[in-house]
Amino acid sequence: MSTVLSIRDLVVQFSTPDGVVPAVNEFSLELVPGECVGIVGESGAGKSQSFLAVMGLLAGNASVSGSARLGEAELLGNDREALNAVRGSKLAMIFQDPMTSLTPHLRVVDQIGESLIRHRGFSKAQARQRALELLRLVQVTDAERRLDQYPHELSGGMRQRVMIAIALACDPEVLIADEPTTALDVTIQAQILALLAQLKRERGMSMVLVTHDLGVVAGIADRVVVMYGGRIVERGAVKDILLAPQHPYTRALLASMPRIDEVGNAPLQAIGGQPPNPRSLPSGCAFHPRCALAADRCANERPALNVAADRAVACHFPIRGDAHD
Amino acid sequence: MTEPLLRIRSLRVWFPVGTALFGKPAQLRAVDGVDFDLKAGEALGIVGESGCGKSTLARAILRLVPSTAGQIVWMGQSIEAWSTRQVRPLRRDLQIVFQDPLASLDPRMTVGEIVAEPLRVHAPELSRAERRERVADMLRRVGLSPDVINRYPHEFSGGQCQRIGIARAMVLRPKLLVCDEPVSALDVSIQAQIVNLLQDLKRDFGMSILFVSHNLAVVRKLCERVLVLYLGKPMELALTERLYSDPRHPYTRGLLAAVPIPDPAVQPLRLGTALGGELPSPLSPPSGCVFRTRCPMAESECAATAPSFDEVSEAHQVACWRWREK
Repeated sequence: MSTVLSIRDLVVQFSTPDGVVPAVNEFSLELVPGECVGIVGESGAGKSQSFLAVMGLLAGNASVSGSARLGEAELLGNDREALNAVRGSKLAMIFQDPMTSLTPHLRVVDQIGESLIRHRGFSKAQARQRALELLRLVQVTDAERRLDQYPHELSGGMRQRVMIAIALACDPEVLIADEPTTALDVTIQAQILALLAQLKRERGMSMVLVTHDLGVVAGIADRVVVMYGGRIVERGAVKDILLAPQHPYTRALLASMPRIDEVGNAPLQAIGGQPPNPRSLPSGCAFHPRCALAADRCANERPALNVAADRAVACHFPIRGDAHD
Repeated sequence: MTEPLLRIRSLRVWFPVGTALFGKPAQLRAVDGVDFDLKAGEALGIVGESGCGKSTLARAILRLVPSTAGQIVWMGQSIEAWSTRQVRPLRRDLQIVFQDPLASLDPRMTVGEIVAEPLRVHAPELSRAERRERVADMLRRVGLSPDVINRYPHEFSGGQCQRIGIARAMVLRPKLLVCDEPVSALDVSIQAQIVNLLQDLKRDFGMSILFVSHNLAVVRKLCERVLVLYLGKPMELALTERLYSDPRHPYTRGLLAAVPIPDPAVQPLRLGTALGGELPSPLSPPSGCVFRTRCPMAESECAATAPSFDEVSEAHQVACWRWREK
């Protein structure tokens, strides 16, 4: 099948006064048209940095290698002009905090219209008309009045809808959503996720959803990539990853989450320790100090990402349970 | 034991907002008529969306914000009008853990000083050696090595800072621990550690807990009863298992349906049932039932009169005209 976004061997490092800090290592992903891939991990796992790199939005002290192709266009190492031709038109991104990612002194209509005027040559009047359609598409109430409002006049959920409207303005091939609902109430989160699911279903949009919440990916993702310590530790269909995880980290993460549908107050199966600091990653498998199944080999030898059929796992001792239905 | 540890009656916390040149400023009704009892050793969850008044309610009970009307009865005494000086001795029994673990610790104090401070203020009779002993003991209880006493908060991760904050709150062995979103800022794997720690401490020390959270899955693990707030008003109060298995208020049902479940067989369908709309402005709450503007079951009666907080069965109260219907 064709791929719309193809990331190969992405490496992101930051040079700091204390030396080079690796953020992402050997990250690869093939996104096929119309699918949603969830990228899951905790703080410092490298999930956001991977896609900031693809968007050319990394901090100044970052260095990037590898390849990220959108169709025929190479995104990495490209000059700013070439990147700007793609960003906002074929590739769009929404962020966790809709307040800080909107421009505070510009009205909603100008923020949505910006990319239409820039990339599509719309007039101001055309852009306004399209902005109104987009606000209605993302189910902003009272859309006409919202056009002339400023971000501070909107609620958090409304701001995120405006962010999505901006991202959709030029009908992008790929939408990257970086923790789009983390700052929102669960009720508003459910509304935004339902909206994203609808956009995917009705417009066939390809989507990358970066999140720390496995419950969020369960509702919308087709495939899941689990990251830990800057690397992919497991990848596969959402059903396989959530119902039959093979990596001990994925399994532990699932077991540590309290579930709304679980009766009783049995203690949670917490993962001891804490997510590793990218400055001082453990040797071998980065998860081995927290892993219940770790053996000597895990501390000495980093497991390669083993690709088999349609799933992949990086573990010396993957969990192979009975096949589920 | 008949007398509850804490009894809240018709509690209101209103904030004046804006300065009207003529006439009265508008009143923001953050908490608007809340009643509940808290028994010794009981954990009560207070849940609702941002702006529902849950944190304000907790802070009013601790007398960190003044209440406008109603009663706060602590161990038989009405404390709502007490002066700061009168309240101070109560702080020994009423402690709080905040959401942001690092911001709630003084960056210039060592961990030892932070955990010892409540003892210096409230238990001055202790000798230095006794104090040190109590601090070391409490640090061990929260899962930290006593060796950390000479280090500073910035040297610790978020989860460890939250353990320090819990040690500071627990070192006086309070009768009530108020937790204001204590795990919301933490990584998923660390959240479970802190939830388990609070469970252990509650079992070992028997304190009561007021657990303010928007995370209904965590509340289910930790609390015996749950109070659901909306726009400062109680919507439903029930034993935890009852609330989660047989919620009677449409708002409670909406909240529960919004929590994602990590199972791809059920979660996509739940997305379609999301509660619509957003919290209305607390400056101009809807007439009648405040939830009616988002309620899938609302009818004309709901706009006319606010439902009372009725007992629908033992220990289960609901403020809804239509609670009998599913």
